[in-house]
Amino acid sequence: MSAYTALTTAGYRAQVRDKATLFFTFAFPLLFLVVFGLIFSGKDVEQSGRPYISYIAPGVMSWGVANAAVFGIAFTLMQWRRDDLLRLVRLTPTPLTTVLASRYVLALGVGVAQAAVFVGVAMLPGFGLAVDGRWPLLLPGLVLGITAFLAIGVIVGTYANTPEAVAAIANCLMVPMAFLSGSFLPMDMMPGWLRSVSLVLPLRYLNDAASGALTGRGPLTDIWTGWAALLGFAVLFGAIGLKTFRWSNRT
Amino acid sequence: MTTHSTPPPDTTAITAITVENVRKRYGDRDAVDGVSLAVRRGEFFGLLGPNGAGKTTLVEIMEGLRQADSGTVRVLGQSPWPRNTALLPRMGVQTQSSAFFVRQTAREHLATVAGLYRHDRAAADRTLASVGLTEQRDVYVENLSGGQRQRLAIASALVHDPELIFLDEPTAALDPQARRDLWEVLRALKSEGRTIVYTTHHLDEAEALCDRVAILVGGRIAALDSPHQLVTAAGAPSRLLLPAGRIPVEDADAIPGVDRATVQGGSLVLETAAPGKVLRAVDALTGLDGVMTRTATLEDVYLELTGAAGEPAAHPHSTES
Repeated sequence: MSAYTALTTAGYRAQVRDKATLFFTFAFPLLFLVVFGLIFSGKDVEQSGRPYISYIAPGVMSWGVANAAVFGIAFTLMQWRRDDLLRLVRLTPTPLTTVLASRYVLALGVGVAQAAVFVGVAMLPGFGLAVDGRWPLLLPGLVLGITAFLAIGVIVGTYANTPEAVAAIANCLMVPMAFLSGSFLPMDMMPGWLRSVSLVLPLRYLNDAASGALTGRGPLTDIWTGWAALLGFAVLFGAIGLKTFRWSNRT
Repeated sequence: MTTHSTPPPDTTAITAITVENVRKRYGDRDAVDGVSLAVRRGEFFGLLGPNGAGKTTLVEIMEGLRQADSGTVRVLGQSPWPRNTALLPRMGVQTQSSAFFVRQTAREHLATVAGLYRHDRAAADRTLASVGLTEQRDVYVENLSGGQRQRLAIASALVHDPELIFLDEPTAALDPQARRDLWEVLRALKSEGRTIVYTTHHLDEAEALCDRVAILVGGRIAALDSPHQLVTAAGAPSRLLLPAGRIPVEDADAIPGVDRATVQGGSLVLETAAPGKVLRAVDALTGLDGVMTRTATLEDVYLELTGAAGEPAAHPHSTES
């Protein structure tokens, strides 16, 4: 058995056996989608004349995927280091790149499954999301977004030494970012200065790329810009993550 | 067999680990302060010492988890630092008994570790059997008892069939029966020609298992030899225990060869460097019924060495934090 297969299989089992994480990964964002979707059912956003669901569906999806990527890797890294499992891996001939590749593939799998579920639910009657013909462009954006947020999660998991610290740091990061990037409330409803602030947030670009691809809103350049920005964030946070990575909590 | 036809000695063929003048400093404290030692191939080598004596740091330097500030380390003829992926498959390291892949069964965990060494599932099953965990193989690692976790951690160090094995207090959480069972596992590993380096606070165990022990005090080697040689060289007195009241203390003190006579816990204790002579005298006085002899042990040597350095030696069985 190859090290990659072994790690990916163990990671998959750990993922599907953890009911609490499954709930937070899949059901919790759906809850937002359902609540916002039903509150604003059939309504349009005044500023743009477009239905609410065309904002909320890609927004909640982006936030859910980003959240799962950050929390998943941050918890795993903190736990592996705390339990000395990283040391065990360090003492085998398995290269760090194999470990990263396995975690990356698991995170991509989770993210794509989430996106399929969230978009599927949003398309149900009652929510009524109309998916645009250029929806396949969602995939590259998702992959780049997951990569960027995975890198952020690595940094969180490196600095946090307890589950409480992971939850505190990740929530402080992700909840305000979700509101400021238009995941729950359409950006078009926000004042201009807040829209400018959102330009430094990676979730803003995932939202733009996702809603551009799913709903066909805005020019294609919005999508390209989103991809480029996510790639930039991925490189930046990836470099910081590799630079600060620790094998052990002990000095 | 002739002795003249042997080729010049290849040190890597007889030496598993060579440590020369290794130092490691944390802040203003020397954790390891100029240690030199050699572990022979096939040897069962014990590393003893009080908490904070530098055992863990020294072992981690040998394992390649830490870099020594100065000095040289050769493990199986190679340098363990930086991370040496050619060397790693040849050594097995017992990590803490929390180092398990979460939400896996014992078997799944061990198969994953086997996979990290590119070994198959069958290797995991064999190793589970060798540490007596076959019955628990489908139990989640989170639900194993302390002793079972300990054995699974040891199995994680053995699954890839290493030549050199590092064990860190392997019997710490085991009950007496499980401890003796593990001794058999360890003796079997040694009989297969593997080299074992192990730390422990159980001195009786070190005495029973180790070919040689090094006693580390304050980052330096205070003693290094076979347990038998250490005990003999220390010249610690033997003790004869008689039921109290059989002989008055003053009379016992007067027996030729008795260095000191005291009453301890219902026994009259005679300390002597000449137990044979004293036994004959006691035999002549009262007969030998109920007389027990206690010879010096490695623990006596250990307490003397570690106590002399001003270290608290009162808790030799406490575990390393």
